[in-house]
Amino acid sequence: MFKDLDPILHSQLRLAVMSLLISVKEAEFTFLKEKTNSTAGNLSVQIQKLKEAGYIEVIKQFKDNYPQTICKITSAGIKAFEEYVKNLQGYLTQK
Amino acid sequence: MDQEKKLSEQESLLIIQQMIQTAKQEQKDDGKGWILWGWLLFAASVFTYINLKTQWFSNYFFWNIFGIASLLLLLFSIIRVLFFKKTRKVKTYTAELFHKLNIGFFISLLLIIVAINRGVSPVLGFSLLLGLYGFWILIYGAGLNFKPSIIGAYITWAFAFAGLFVETFDWTMIFHAMAVLLGYIIPGHLANIEFNKAHGQEK
Repeated sequence: MFKDLDPILHSQLRLAVMSLLISVKEAEFTFLKEKTNSTAGNLSVQIQKLKEAGYIEVIKQFKDNYPQTICKITSAGIKAFEEYVKNLQGYLTQK
Repeated sequence: MDQEKKLSEQESLLIIQQMIQTAKQEQKDDGKGWILWGWLLFAASVFTYINLKTQWFSNYFFWNIFGIASLLLLLFSIIRVLFFKKTRKVKTYTAELFHKLNIGFFISLLLIIVAINRGVSPVLGFSLLLGLYGFWILIYGAGLNFKPSIIGAYITWAFAFAGLFVETFDWTMIFHAMAVLLGYIIPGHLANIEFNKAHGQEK
């Protein structure tokens, strides 16, 4: 019997953001937008959902008078991502 | 990217692979630091060797020139960081590690240079310098999984070890030039080619 895939992660953009963040220490919003090829509005909404789930930490600050949003994955996010990949492997090996 | 689209397991796996691959590109180094320092060190060694044979100037003339060039480069870097700082959009773990290791490398380098100026024989001192170069090259190569640097590190150490047994400074300069060529310059150019290829593909 397979476990259900985490609905927070089982979404194209949220999964892409988490996959990027798991590989780096932290990334700016603009970096995530560029690499996921998403719109700012959509990305903001998805980042908020990941933040509410406790999977990422969002730091808003000013750098050289410009607003800057930095995202980094939390330990709960890493655990959830690892679990997601494990469950995904289960589905794929079954097929 | 449409976030509401229903994902299949294969699509999920593909997204993960693509994004991790994208993040990995950020970890690549352009090799320019190795190329710049490599050629400077190589030129100083070769010119010092020629100078030892011709006796145009004092024995360490070209190393003094190298020292001045290094100070100018350092000044240029400080100005660039202070006034033309490019903010990086992403921080990688390897970049953080390399930054800290760089500090350790330069402090250790300074210690050896001061030791040479305080009486340690230059023949032995340059072997110690090569040993330190090898250490940094290995960590760089291992951190970025870049084989030419890993091989370069062992070659550099081989020259460092051999350098302990030479009698004259002209041989030290030949070993130093060879080690820098194989440990810095060639891996640096290879890293630069790989970096340009990877970033060319992205565009």
